[in-house]
Amino acid sequence: MRKLCLATVVLATACGGAAVPQETLTAAKAAVAGAEVAGASSEPKAALHLKLAKEQLGKAEKLIADGDNEEASREIDRAQADADLAFSLAKEATAKKEASDTQEQLDRLKQHSK
Amino acid sequence: MNRSFKIGWLLAVQALVGCSTPLPPQELLQARSAYNAASKSQANQLAPAQLDTAKQALEKAEGSFKENGDEPVTKDLAYIANVRAQIAVAEAGREQASRNKVKVDHDFRNSQLDALDSSKTALEAEKKARAEAEKARKAAEASLKEIAAIKEESRGVVITLSGAVLFATGKSTLLPIAQEKLTEVAKAIGDQGNYKSLLVEGHTDSQGSADKNQLLSQQRAQAVRSYLITQGIPSDKIRAEGIGSSRPVADNGTAEGRANNRRVEIVVEPNR
Repeated sequence: MRKLCLATVVLATACGGAAVPQETLTAAKAAVAGAEVAGASSEPKAALHLKLAKEQLGKAEKLIADGDNEEASREIDRAQADADLAFSLAKEATAKKEASDTQEQLDRLKQHSK
Repeated sequence: MNRSFKIGWLLAVQALVGCSTPLPPQELLQARSAYNAASKSQANQLAPAQLDTAKQALEKAEGSFKENGDEPVTKDLAYIANVRAQIAVAEAGREQASRNKVKVDHDFRNSQLDALDSSKTALEAEKKARAEAEKARKAAEASLKEIAAIKEESRGVVITLSGAVLFATGKSTLLPIAQEKLTEVAKAIGDQGNYKSLLVEGHTDSQGSADKNQLLSQQRAQAVRSYLITQGIPSDKIRAEGIGSSRPVADNGTAEGRANNRRVEIVVEPNR
């Protein structure tokens, strides 16, 4: 109950002030796109965070439309973090795969030259 | 509900709970433990910048918790701190993998060079083996020359053994000295190894009837063939033929010529 009241208060004050967080929104969208290009969709854990980032961005856009820029800004910050994580996880998976592929090639070469 | 009522109610509630510090929200607890784990992981060495970012994010969340308690802003900041800690771990994993790859690439190149070296060695060993085989063949040929006449013809290498050395007059039984010589011939042929088949031909001079000479030459060729088989020449690779007096190599009018005509020829037929 207390939470609800607090939220109402925050909402009531937010309507007045903060500007549309256009800059961070654009950056977070770019981060989502970057994670997708890095292959986040094909790596389960990365895909999860990519999905969270997109959901949060959707929420943020809705909040902006409703005029709640402050809460939108926080959703955008979360989305940015999740997109960054999706990117890192995708890159990690790629690097691990490359390393194991190379290892496999090495093993085959050693097998061959025995 | 009007606004002043809401605020009044809120103040009343805060007065009730406000004195005691609120418990940290779940998000903050998770962020602390995520950062704690990350700071003890290889991220320390492999992703220090990202780990520092995670640290700052956590400090921000802790600051918000002190200032605002467990309000949504604290939870959001804690959520972000948690994710930043995971990013540090992922970046460390990525760095480790790429270092592994560099090392394996290096090993791969070295292995390739090793493989190249060993194939060179194998090639040299083969060359050497071939040279040795050639040497053995020449040595076999040379030792053969000491006991028999060797000539190369289109049908193959022809080893000619004098009849006088092999058989008593009119007989087709090998003399003891002949056996010794044939043993060496068999050994030389065996050493050389590389032939398709052997043809043993018996030849006589022109004295006596053609039929008799034909029969005798046949029997002598047989005797040589049988002996060579006992010396390890495979029986399916060696044939015997009686030629009689039909292919003289010298004048049958002189004793010396006739002696030369009485002979056994072993034709080493080459692989084609």
